[in-house]
Amino acid sequence: MAFAWKAAGITYNRYLAVAARVVRRSLKDDKRLQAERRGEMDLRFAKWEGGKQGENKSLADVNQADMAAHAGQSQ
Amino acid sequence: MNSLKVARMALRAAARPQPALRRGYADVAPDKLRLSLALPHQTIYKSQDVVQVNIAAESGEMGILAQHVPSIEQLKPGLVEVIEEAGGNKQFFLSGGFATVQPGSVLSINAVEGYPLEDFSAENVRNQISEAQKIAGGSGSEQDKAEANIELEVLESLQAALK
Repeated sequence: MAFAWKAAGITYNRYLAVAARVVRRSLKDDKRLQAERRGEMDLRFAKWEGGKQGENKSLADVNQADMAAHAGQSQ
Repeated sequence: MNSLKVARMALRAAARPQPALRRGYADVAPDKLRLSLALPHQTIYKSQDVVQVNIAAESGEMGILAQHVPSIEQLKPGLVEVIEEAGGNKQFFLSGGFATVQPGSVLSINAVEGYPLEDFSAENVRNQISEAQKIAGGSGSEQDKAEANIELEVLESLQAALK
């Protein structure tokens, strides 16, 4: 089963996140404000090599860059 | 002496508890489906006996009843309808996830977001559709367009469900 989003390089995880974001934005306003908070992700990470902490990067940015680089490679 | 032995045996027999009924495939009432429908932040159904569940799987719309063959189905963003024992019908729009039928009429549905239809606003859906169409037809990156297409797929399913 070839999915259009997979061919464009989007991972299943990201697909779920996009679909969930859309559903949250479609709610009536009172429920929407509560739900939107669930979609916020501000995760940062740093690679450690040889005991030294590398640069602190945002997970969302790194994922996006990786997906764009891999677009079209799968399927 | 003999009567003492008989008495002792009788006492032992009475004291021995009945063995607990072994749990097998038949412990769920054979004509009911045990449903668990869970989101990461909320449990909608927790091992509740229901009659039938209709799901929108990628392989097609399916109705799951008791004694369904075990299977794993990826869900499309769409409506899940639960027909409860007391005769009520509940519908939820799920953003996507998986439905797993286990042996013994156990159905587990996991989704990221799910709400009953009355929680949605048709106007918000329409606004999002026009925005997503602009991005999908525009000149952004392939990724933005692919994401806009995902959004359109979900929104069209939601719009159809809300009618």
